[in-house]
Amino acid sequence: MTRQEIETKVNSLLAEEFEKETSDITPEANLKEALSLDSLSLVDLVALIQQTYKITIPVADLHSIQTFNDLYDYIEQHLPSE
Amino acid sequence: MIPYEIEQLIPQRAPIRMVDRLLEVSEGKACCGLLVNWRNRFLELDGSMSAEGVIEHIAQSASALFGYEARQAGREAPPLAYIGEVRNFRCLRRPHAGEWLQTTIRTGPTVGDVTLLTAEVKINDEVIALTELKIAMV
Repeated sequence: MTRQEIETKVNSLLAEEFEKETSDITPEANLKEALSLDSLSLVDLVALIQQTYKITIPVADLHSIQTFNDLYDYIEQHLPSE
Repeated sequence: MIPYEIEQLIPQRAPIRMVDRLLEVSEGKACCGLLVNWRNRFLELDGSMSAEGVIEHIAQSASALFGYEARQAGREAPPLAYIGEVRNFRCLRRPHAGEWLQTTIRTGPTVGDVTLLTAEVKINDEVIALTELKIAMV
């Protein structure tokens, strides 16, 4: 899976899950602000990534994921080998 | 065999206790049972339980799992937890007095104090309700 494929799929999934326009999602935008995430909806983000990519994001790692770019990087680095 | 009475695991007491027994626990999964009796506070005039009662039963089943985990970790007081969100709830049919509900809870990711769960409620082999819910621990 290429970086571009990850970005496109993640943007589409997040826009649908959190009822946003994909145009709201830019690589440098803050995830929590752009998706209006609170402590309850943050768990949805983690579940979505886990279901889609089989990647579990520990809470400690979640603190370092601030922007969409951080999230793409995290997925790219933790994708299970096929 | 679960070595605890249900009231050692959850804070709810009669008449609003909605779980009779924690039947089984395995990694990330628990199974609870409730016999719907005629005194149940969530029964309606036709003898069927309201959908809210089914949700409360599911939430207390999740609470039983958290209580079990707390006991296993050496804590005595059952933890207090609140329903943060109920999502994709489907009640395929409402249970009636005299029926035995068996509910399987599966835990998903936890972020901070919030855990995502899925639940399936059965009567015998018939699935009567499904949902996802978020539980916030305090």
